[in-house]
Amino acid sequence: MKNRSLSKKIGPYLWLLPSILLMTIFILFPIFEVFRTSVSKISKAGVVKGFAGMDNFTKVISSTTFAMVLKNTLIWTIAVVGISTVLGFILALLLNNEFFGRKAARAVVVFPWATSLIIQASVWKFIINQDFGTLNTLLMRIGLISSPINWTPSPEAYFAWECWVGIFVTVPFVTFCVLAGLQGIDESYYESATVDGAGFWQKLFSITLPLVRPSLTVSTVLNIIYVFNSFPIIWTITKGDPANRTDTLVTYLYKQAFYKGRTGEAAAISVIGFLILCICASVYMVLSLRKEEADE
Amino acid sequence: MNNTKKTTSSKDKTLRVLLYLAVLVLVLITLYPYFAMFTTALKARSEIYAKNGTVLPIIWHWENFVDIWKLAPLSRYFANSLLISGGATAIAILCGIPAAYALSRMKFKGKKFFLGLVIVSQMFSPVVLLVGIYKIMSMLHLTDTLMALIFINAAFNQAFAIWLLRGTFMSISSEMEQAATIDGCNRVQAMLRVLLPVAAPGIVTALIFVFINAWNEYTVALTLISTDVLKPLTVGITTFNGYNMIEWQYLFSSSLFATLPVVILFICIEKHLVGGLTSGGVKG
Repeated sequence: MKNRSLSKKIGPYLWLLPSILLMTIFILFPIFEVFRTSVSKISKAGVVKGFAGMDNFTKVISSTTFAMVLKNTLIWTIAVVGISTVLGFILALLLNNEFFGRKAARAVVVFPWATSLIIQASVWKFIINQDFGTLNTLLMRIGLISSPINWTPSPEAYFAWECWVGIFVTVPFVTFCVLAGLQGIDESYYESATVDGAGFWQKLFSITLPLVRPSLTVSTVLNIIYVFNSFPIIWTITKGDPANRTDTLVTYLYKQAFYKGRTGEAAAISVIGFLILCICASVYMVLSLRKEEADE
Repeated sequence: MNNTKKTTSSKDKTLRVLLYLAVLVLVLITLYPYFAMFTTALKARSEIYAKNGTVLPIIWHWENFVDIWKLAPLSRYFANSLLISGGATAIAILCGIPAAYALSRMKFKGKKFFLGLVIVSQMFSPVVLLVGIYKIMSMLHLTDTLMALIFINAAFNQAFAIWLLRGTFMSISSEMEQAATIDGCNRVQAMLRVLLPVAAPGIVTALIFVFINAWNEYTVALTLISTDVLKPLTVGITTFNGYNMIEWQYLFSSSLFATLPVVILFICIEKHLVGGLTSGGVKG
């Protein structure tokens, strides 16, 4: 009898054990290592040589490059997540209608989501090339332009294109999250609203938006995390160059760690990035939860 | 009365045309990169770099799709990608099923804490943790091995797998399992024989989702693998991305091979996927 209650107590944890082991070794331990490295003195060979306090952090923060990289990261995250959310929401509203070819359209929308980021980024890098890119070829053949356009005259232009690729691959996720939310809305809400004389915009703001808000919250929080941490697009198109002007935190820390051998500083950048992400995500969660409560 | 009806129906018609137009434009924009990839994959290099290029190839070089298999160890890359994704999926699901079962069927202390941990683990992408990942892999003597990528992909997809599976299990009533326990089954048997067959669609969705994520992973593979024949497709195809001249036609023909299986898989699970993601999150 005693045995049985013991197994009942330990039982659930045994079921969790494989999963806990997997995540402890390959996620928790690296997290611990990154935090430890960020406050350690590290030799060029990567050996820990004692406690460094906040040295790595002050080194990182005092560099002028870091301020620019931080600004880029914020622009990148806000632009990509913000615009993708709006576009994805509109696309979901369109696809939620009954029309001929709806299934095919939904299948096509999945494409960018399923394709590896590195492949998407390579294609767009090719498309916008001034000399042989297909965008100039296409526009010239149609007759819209007479000579090739330089699509990337400045680092800022490159960065804008990188944001575009980010948006392109992020929209499908938002669309499908919103579609899932839309499918859960009872048709009778709209019918009675129509009887009451509500127009399109009124229905959108007083029925659709509040009811898909939980789906939008999930997709926005996840997207903030993914986009903030996204590496392949910028790495493929510009590698953060010229002179760090298109770097975000992750490409910058990658170069610090694996090109320049500044492991300690790279770890400090990781920690800073994680803190920013934590703040953003929790602020968003709190705000949207409060709004939900206020609505009830 | 009649009049108003007519105007609404003509208004409906214009709306309908606008809807079709909007969807058409969006579909064309979405397909454009794939069109560019396909047409470029079929061109000769001289044609790609020529002035006054054409939209479609002048001569269709179908042999590009054959040549790439000789020019780079593409079949090895393919096999590596399969091994990594298959191994990662197996581990992620085998660890995820019992965890999701406990989280959906049992009451215990620390359940909320564990769920919170699962969510927090989502906030760390492998890129941010590369310094630490590299360390653990050197300690385990796993740098430059496929095993390293299998474990990393399994671990970083664990949260999603648990989330999806827990959502699926919670949507299935536990009555049948309870009946089975009365008939003398223990918990493990009840789960294997009663719950898992019913939950099969959700499990397949989780399987495919983890597989696709691992298949498309780039950054960790780029960092941990230095031996050419151990590279997965995402890293391997960049071989055609040389320092002086990029062999675009080969890069894109191999990219198409790398993309096709995943896009097909994704279309298969599209219907189930998002429902699982959001419902699991909202009910939390």
